[in-house]
Amino acid sequence: MEQQNEHDRELRELLKDYPMPEATAAFYDDALAKAARTGARKQRNRWLMTGFGSAIAAGLAIWIMSGLLFNTPTLPQSDLAIPEVTIALEEPKTVNLVFASATALDSAVLTVTLPDGIELEGFPGQKEITWETSLAEGKNRLPLRLIALTPHGGELLARLEHNDRDREFRLRVDVS
Amino acid sequence: MGASLNQALFERLLRPHLDRLYGLAWRLTGNKADAEDLFQDLLEKAYGKLDALADIEDPLPWLSRVMYNMFVDRYRASKRQRLRVVGEESLPPGGLEEMPGVENVEEDQQRFEKLKRLDAALQKLSDEHRMVVLLHDTDGYKLSEIEELTGIPTGTIKSRLHRARARLRQILVEDGTFS
Repeated sequence: MEQQNEHDRELRELLKDYPMPEATAAFYDDALAKAARTGARKQRNRWLMTGFGSAIAAGLAIWIMSGLLFNTPTLPQSDLAIPEVTIALEEPKTVNLVFASATALDSAVLTVTLPDGIELEGFPGQKEITWETSLAEGKNRLPLRLIALTPHGGELLARLEHNDRDREFRLRVDVS
Repeated sequence: MGASLNQALFERLLRPHLDRLYGLAWRLTGNKADAEDLFQDLLEKAYGKLDALADIEDPLPWLSRVMYNMFVDRYRASKRQRLRVVGEESLPPGGLEEMPGVENVEEDQQRFEKLKRLDAALQKLSDEHRMVVLLHDTDGYKLSEIEELTGIPTGTIKSRLHRARARLRQILVEDGTFS
């Protein structure tokens, strides 16, 4: 029992000495300033978002809903409003593209072409990324985690191909 | 309220608690990158709740609870992260000279070795036991504060603390750290 008490005491002393991580004052200054900047921007964006109607902010994600069916005749997207998202410089943000398909499709090919200065997280330096994928009947969500490396923004193109048909979706990406 | 006034209020409310919150982020995520992300996410969330925050007499428990919930929701629930402890690389940057209570090289070395073994022993605990023992015995959280933070009843916390210490003692006896 005496030995156990000694071990208890020694353990408590060791645990007290176990280091508590600390950051530098400069890190705290930067973190506070960044939080204030981001917070102020989010407050502004909340006002802007109310004008979009079809875009719903959900945390860091923005949903771009497309009501088009893959099997319907192609409409030129110039006839439609091109959805827009705003992302902050060098802050990754998830944008969810939602594709609707009238039927399940195997071996569809999806190609995303990024504007200059915008990258997809995990694919540094790649302007065009292609996946082969299957689409379920109904809505299919594609989360894209975008990073703006320059403040210029541009237009993102998502091209979906299946057999001899294809459909393109455009998304305006602005950088704040 | 103007942006600059908001920022001044935000800093005044948050700055006294930054060390504690940063330490908690480390205890939860177990590594620098995730701790910094979680810490930053908390600050940004807090800025959005500035009005409510200004009305709270002691914001630290509220902020800690928000951080814990964010961690559970975003990190732990997604299985991308697990609780880990501070590794050897996180010992004070000044090395042994920065460690409290040591005055000569031989003692320093012994203390350092014991802390390394403690670190290894902590790695063998379950996430729940490790978090409780570090928050309570290392960071000085009271049982009631851990209950408020995690929502776990005090009785369960006491039980986990008891088992965590017993397991640590056992490991440290078995590896020869405690004679």
